[in-house]
Amino acid sequence: MDYSGQFAWVIFPYMMIVLTIVGHVYRYNTDQMGWTTKSSELLEKKDLRLGSMLFHYGFLFVIGGHIIGLFIPRSMVTAAGISNELYHEIAISTGAIAGIVTLIGLWILTKRRFTNKRIIATSSFTDKLILILLLAEILLGIYNTLFHNLIFGDYYYRETISPWFRGLFVFAPNAKLMANVPFAFKLHILLAFVIFGLWPFTRLVHVWSFPIAYIRRTRMIYRRRCGDILDK
Amino acid sequence: MNKKASYIFKKMRFFKEREVYSNGLSSLNSQGREWENFYRNRWQHDKVVRTTHGVNCTGSCSWNVFVKEGIITWEMQATDYPTTGPDMPEYEPRGCPRGASFSWYTYSPLRVKHPYIRGILLEFWRKALSKSDSPIEAWASIVEDPKKSRAYKKARGKGGFVRASWSELNELIAAQTLYTSKKYGPDRVIGFTPIPAMSMVSYASGARFISLMGGSMLSFYDWYADLPPASPQMWGEQTDVPESGDWFNAGYIIMWGSNVPMTRTPDAHFMTEARYKGTKVISISPDYAESVKFADEWLGVDPGSDGALAQAMTHVILKEFYIDNQTEYFYEYAKKYTDLPFLMTLKQDGDMFIIDRFLRASDLDSSVTNPEWKTVVLDKISGKLVIPNGSIGHRWEHKAKWNLNSIDENGKEFDPEMTMLGQEDEMVIVKLPYFDNKQRMVLERSVPVKRIKVGKKIYYVTMVFDVMLANYGVKRSEKDIGYPENYEDKAPYTPSWQEEFTRISPQQVVKIAREFAQNAIDTKGRSMIIMGAGINHWFHSDINYRTILNLVVLTGCEGVSGGGWAHYVGQEKLRPFEGWSTVAFAKDWSPAPRLQNGTSFFYFATDQFRYEETPMSNLISPTVEKARYEHPADYNVMSARLGWSASYPQFNKNTFTLTKEAKESGASTDKEIVKYVAKELKEKKVHFAIEDPDAPDNFPRTLFVWRANLIAASGKGHEYFLKHLLGTQQGGVLSNDSKELNSTIEVKWEGEAPEGKLDLLVNLEFRMSGTALYSDIVLPAATWYEKDDMSSTDMHPFIHPFNPAITPPWEAKADWDIFKNISKTVSSMAEKYLPDVQTDIVASPMMHDTPGEMAQPFGHIKDWSKGEVDAIPGKTMPNLTVVERDYTQIYKKYSSLGPLARENPIGANGVNFSVKEEYDALKHLIGIQNEGIAKNMPNLDNAKNVVNAMLSLSSASNGKVAQKAWAVEAEKTGLDIGDIEKTKEEEHFTHESITVQPRESISTPVFTGHVKNGGRYTPFNNNIDLLMPFRTLTGRQQFFMDHEMMLEYGEGFPVYKPTIATQPFTEIDNVPVETGKTINLKYLTPHGKWNIHSMYFDSERMLTLFRGGPTVWINNEDADSINVKDNDWIEVYNRRGVVTARAVVSHKMQKGSTYMYHAQDRTINTPVSGITKESGGTHNSPTSIFLKPTHLIGGYAQFSYGFNYYGPTGHQRDARVFIRKLRKAVWHED
Repeated sequence: MDYSGQFAWVIFPYMMIVLTIVGHVYRYNTDQMGWTTKSSELLEKKDLRLGSMLFHYGFLFVIGGHIIGLFIPRSMVTAAGISNELYHEIAISTGAIAGIVTLIGLWILTKRRFTNKRIIATSSFTDKLILILLLAEILLGIYNTLFHNLIFGDYYYRETISPWFRGLFVFAPNAKLMANVPFAFKLHILLAFVIFGLWPFTRLVHVWSFPIAYIRRTRMIYRRRCGDILDK
Repeated sequence: MNKKASYIFKKMRFFKEREVYSNGLSSLNSQGREWENFYRNRWQHDKVVRTTHGVNCTGSCSWNVFVKEGIITWEMQATDYPTTGPDMPEYEPRGCPRGASFSWYTYSPLRVKHPYIRGILLEFWRKALSKSDSPIEAWASIVEDPKKSRAYKKARGKGGFVRASWSELNELIAAQTLYTSKKYGPDRVIGFTPIPAMSMVSYASGARFISLMGGSMLSFYDWYADLPPASPQMWGEQTDVPESGDWFNAGYIIMWGSNVPMTRTPDAHFMTEARYKGTKVISISPDYAESVKFADEWLGVDPGSDGALAQAMTHVILKEFYIDNQTEYFYEYAKKYTDLPFLMTLKQDGDMFIIDRFLRASDLDSSVTNPEWKTVVLDKISGKLVIPNGSIGHRWEHKAKWNLNSIDENGKEFDPEMTMLGQEDEMVIVKLPYFDNKQRMVLERSVPVKRIKVGKKIYYVTMVFDVMLANYGVKRSEKDIGYPENYEDKAPYTPSWQEEFTRISPQQVVKIAREFAQNAIDTKGRSMIIMGAGINHWFHSDINYRTILNLVVLTGCEGVSGGGWAHYVGQEKLRPFEGWSTVAFAKDWSPAPRLQNGTSFFYFATDQFRYEETPMSNLISPTVEKARYEHPADYNVMSARLGWSASYPQFNKNTFTLTKEAKESGASTDKEIVKYVAKELKEKKVHFAIEDPDAPDNFPRTLFVWRANLIAASGKGHEYFLKHLLGTQQGGVLSNDSKELNSTIEVKWEGEAPEGKLDLLVNLEFRMSGTALYSDIVLPAATWYEKDDMSSTDMHPFIHPFNPAITPPWEAKADWDIFKNISKTVSSMAEKYLPDVQTDIVASPMMHDTPGEMAQPFGHIKDWSKGEVDAIPGKTMPNLTVVERDYTQIYKKYSSLGPLARENPIGANGVNFSVKEEYDALKHLIGIQNEGIAKNMPNLDNAKNVVNAMLSLSSASNGKVAQKAWAVEAEKTGLDIGDIEKTKEEEHFTHESITVQPRESISTPVFTGHVKNGGRYTPFNNNIDLLMPFRTLTGRQQFFMDHEMMLEYGEGFPVYKPTIATQPFTEIDNVPVETGKTINLKYLTPHGKWNIHSMYFDSERMLTLFRGGPTVWINNEDADSINVKDNDWIEVYNRRGVVTARAVVSHKMQKGSTYMYHAQDRTINTPVSGITKESGGTHNSPTSIFLKPTHLIGGYAQFSYGFNYYGPTGHQRDARVFIRKLRKAVWHED
């Protein structure tokens, strides 16, 4: 048994997942007033507008790519008539574009946070930390998508990483699948779990407050003054 | 589910089915409303305290402050005012959104929490103290070392504050003031604080300390240019106006230059409510101001042309209501209450005549007392000249003839003739001075005269009314020459004439004038004009005001409920006046405080006289060949010499040294010392300090500023303050020494102007204001929610208390305690370093409402320094009073009510009475001091006791005192008025009783009105209803002013005078290099919405409401012409300085003028100016002081000095500026 592998690909991910779940519950229950994006638009507009747009839209595509890559088994893709080569070309090209767009956005945001006096004055430690981590994560991601594939030839993560990842969700992760995954991919994944773990303690919590319910809500909403009691 | 379910759990209920109804439009969410508790907790409180805001806003509103666990949580308007009675809107609730947000300051980042001093000065001080045992020597070693002195003065305004302890700073201040008093004389210690009524005890604290020291207090009312000199000129009264409730009684209201809804928010409702009962409302304003919204008609005048408009309206009223129709109501009023029927003389000038003066009893060889001070009318009954009761000569002879009964000197009834027309000996041509925007010229108009021969002398006499009609060009008969034929004739002062200057159509002028007068007839005088700073802050504000006041006096509205003028005095009305002034100026210990007019002081102290550009000959009457002096500073010297106005720093020699020399030369009694000093002055061995203001011996050395933002908000000529008074490194002044433009004769003017005259600037503040930032020492003051005090206003009749909601937080202290502690340190330091009693000699002017106002007959100027008359103190030169100063006793005196309050009569406005009984009762009410010279005297150790002392000694707050005051007046006038307030005899306000509920103050003859039958206060109804004379030469309201200098400036009768035509730069200035398009605009600084009065510009709330920084309003077309878009940064500049701000481009502005709303401090968001490379100034950077010589007149009836009463106003409206775009906003903070 490779203990370090077992820790890195089984114990650590679960620790981070537990941390993120418990952390979110804790934060939500104790810090209602702090559950916010901490918008700094009032302090600086120009860079934020460009950086935030690039970053967020880019990121949506990046997430989409990850979902397709990690959750959808290769067999399903093949069954749909998409060849390996085609799949890769699409994944690398769109992934790279989305990644670079995200990177540019994030770069602008990070630079802004570290150089603008007003933003510096209102930034907490985690505000800065999370930007650095995200930046590192995206750089690694782009490196994996673009350079790794170009330098070392295509790496078929759908044989290794994806099954391992899906294993996490059925409580049967196989650490061995990860043994020969290239180092940069490993780093990318581990860093992702670090980010998951830190998530509830940063401004990233705003992700969960995306007002998706607005789409189906009624036009007028009433609340009972003692809603709890009558609710029983 | 239990009540404490976690948030996340509750969130889960999102997935629960919920009740949806109204066709899917509504739903019932089960998530609860606990979040509301957050806000409920925010407004919880465990204590409610009644207090108010100590601000210059005219409001004086009663507020409840809510406190939770020792923290102020919020404030709300008190609603328990006594009712105003039936058919009348109530006063409650009062307050405005600005006041409602005041508590922000208590815990704001701007709060001054600790005593501060600039680091460099503290280092010098500590080092000096370690080298010397004597703190006085230590101070000397700093200030007498030019290098050190320059170093710490240069650092002013450049930050560098460090904390220090109270005791250390008190010691420094004590050492500095004692050093200054010893070396230069105590009059070099100066105090500035404005508007006593906004917090009377706080005002009194420093004023009492400075008066005990022998220092000089500066006036504010004239300095702020809120004093309307027209009021003392016409009525002999500083200012007295109806309370706002009386607006409701008006039938016709003109808001003239007054933006009532914005600047008098809590009172505006009376104006809007009056409209519902049919009152017509007019707004006269150059911009589309808030007041315009409420008006039935808007007259959008050109700024500064109001006089022309009023002249034309007066023309219409005189023509239609005096000549075409003889309105009985107007004639009766004019005959009894104005000088129109009085006789005046004309002086031959070639084959024509010029205006001379009132005819006097002395001209008729009469053997009456004070004959030069009694004026004359022509009696219809006997056909003879008679001397009516009530003139100033009657006032001071104490024969009970000072009244407006139609009885003459000999006790006979009379009925004055209004005009000479019909009984004239001949028609003569009078040369009348005329001014407009382009020229000065003479109007030659005929007047009917009678020749009176007395001995060998022939007097050409006519009535004031006749010259008035000539002046206005109202033609009466075919014999009249030089008059306009009709309204279409563009000759002065017809409605067609005014259009060129005001842009108002003649038809509208005629219409408004007619309506105004007709309403006065229909309602017996209920036409009102609410007047604002918009028309008062001009160089010619007094003459402009006179043209407007004509309207209310000619129509019989003044002194009538619902009628007359309503100036914006506000908190200049201090109701418990007698008690307050006794405490504030330490009259209980010494009879002669030094009370200096602020404008003159700053004119010289900041060397603004060196930048004067307009020779006075440009401004004088065209009937006069040339001005007495070309420079206003010279007039000021004459004024000081002749005892007209106060002038401190006093002499060019320390007064302690002067009296010592007097004693050495053999003078032993006070009288001999006075004689010696008068002789020294006459022989020019000793000079007035004002003759050489730039000599170091004559500098003001110490300045205490409290309750004011002197440097940033009210410092007209801001950049000159910084350069010359403070000596900062700021380089904002763009003008050069202007000797070649206009030089002085009487004032020494040599070399470079000094920089850094002031040795120590001490500021007591609760927020880091502009003044605090430029001070050497900032002492943390308590806010209005942290101290005991009192406030009153003219807008309502109540006296409101301050109560501490919390004790002053951090190291803050109430003003009374701060000055008490300083005086304690001074006294204990004096024990060792100035233990001997010093003899001081105080020069003070001839005061209004004392016999001194009869000093200089006929208003003829006789200068002893030119040998025209002998130098007699109190007659031809200032009064000289010897005062003993014992600096070891300052503290004991400060904290007790001294013996003179018991021995001497106290009072105001010439109403003086003994308060012996009240003084004795006070001992039992507030307790006594037990030690030293203050033994057995009422204890003024704390502010609450001071409040109770002031209330006990004043007629407005103590019924027994009011009885005494009315009895004194009854005796003086011979009128049956002793029992006016008999029913209120038992009333006695205390701090506690006014805290329980607001109380209406008691009517007193100290003011000019009394409340009748539970009605609203109206000024001057004492004169109209009770027949008490006005405190003027004639005892009536005066249209004609015959002082020699008034005639020199062509202001004998009301005329239109345009604004002074100065340009942004003169040929000798450093004109900045052009960088693009500029525009030349009139620069006005009216009161703004988000930065004035009850809240300052720097508060977060106010900044959030509007643009977050300084703004300048500009018309859209003007803005286009210099490529400025809304919110662009701009530079506003002229020879006096630069201010940077954002442009607010708005259609509401008239083309050709720009507004920078008043009191926008330079502490927030002020970028660097491209011209000066300094942080860009305040609204006062482009302004400066112009002295108007006629404001310096004294020693002549109502033209006599009074502190805050008569003196040159610090007007700033006549400025012009260039505006250009600021390409890039750069900040010094980056």
